[in-house]
Amino acid sequence: MTVNIKDFPGVYLRESDFTEKKVLFTEWSPNAQYAWDAGVAIGRYLAELKEGRLVGVRCNQCRRTVIPPRTFCEWCFRPMDDWVTLPDTGTVNTFSLCYVTWDMQYLTDPQIPAVIDIDGTTPRVGIMHMMGEVAPDDVEIGLKVQAVWKPAEEREGSILDIKYFRPLPNDE
Amino acid sequence: MSILEKVDKLHHAVAWRGDMPITSRYTAGIAGEKFLRTIKEEARILGTRCGACGLTYVPAMTFCERCFAELDEWVEVASQGTVFTYTVLYRDLDEKRLDPPAILAYVKLEGSDGGLVHYLGEIEPEAVHIDMAVEAVFKDAAEREGSILDIAYFRPVSE
Repeated sequence: MTVNIKDFPGVYLRESDFTEKKVLFTEWSPNAQYAWDAGVAIGRYLAELKEGRLVGVRCNQCRRTVIPPRTFCEWCFRPMDDWVTLPDTGTVNTFSLCYVTWDMQYLTDPQIPAVIDIDGTTPRVGIMHMMGEVAPDDVEIGLKVQAVWKPAEEREGSILDIKYFRPLPNDE
Repeated sequence: MSILEKVDKLHHAVAWRGDMPITSRYTAGIAGEKFLRTIKEEARILGTRCGACGLTYVPAMTFCERCFAELDEWVEVASQGTVFTYTVLYRDLDEKRLDPPAILAYVKLEGSDGGLVHYLGEIEPEAVHIDMAVEAVFKDAAEREGSILDIAYFRPVSE
């Protein structure tokens, strides 16, 4: 049927048609609050972040140390064996220069999300975080980095208790 | 030793709380625009008519649901009708108690094959019954803004 229609009725709407109230419309914001149960492993992970520490877990069968912690080893299908307190230093595994925000606003200075392999963990089990105190051109795979923490009184048990990771000076 | 811990103290249970900021915007469309503006400016309810099918649509539609013909015959329908079905709401969308309860009804409008879902007012929930004659109560012209809520509610037609 649509092949017979030469001109579709109506006009395309612009944002100004809404701001200037040229058309009738309703807006609706659903109450989309949620509570995600952190569980045993992530619960302790977040509690330790609040104290300014990174913790992982170790499996004695495959001998991996992983972060974030989990209660069972997904390779061996058995419970993890030990909690491991880890340093807050690591290596850039991979990274991206991101010129748009999550809600599609352009950024002049890119955000630099990166996967950081934390020292003391098995390679390639890194955590996602942001890079800071570094020019976009200076980020590279293999760069040694260290966490920059929020002050203790501002930490709230969140991965954002680490503000970002910054390059570790060469002599450290 | 293995990690087989349980959360056995409630204050050890950690939940990550968040909020998803979602906003939707729904436009009235071509027919809805004329339908709502007529309510706003003239306090009249319009429908569109399909002569071939003998159907009058309220709210107004641009196409006949039955034969898919484009509808451009606009007719005024009565602001009176009958309660086709209804429900009594004791809670709002956030589960907060509504006092007094709201009565929501599908009101079939006279002279049409359609009707409106709307509130009933000036009546107790116990007194509502199916097929009850009701009429639209419009807000004052100054308060009307081109919304279906420019009709404040439907009330029983006084005998």
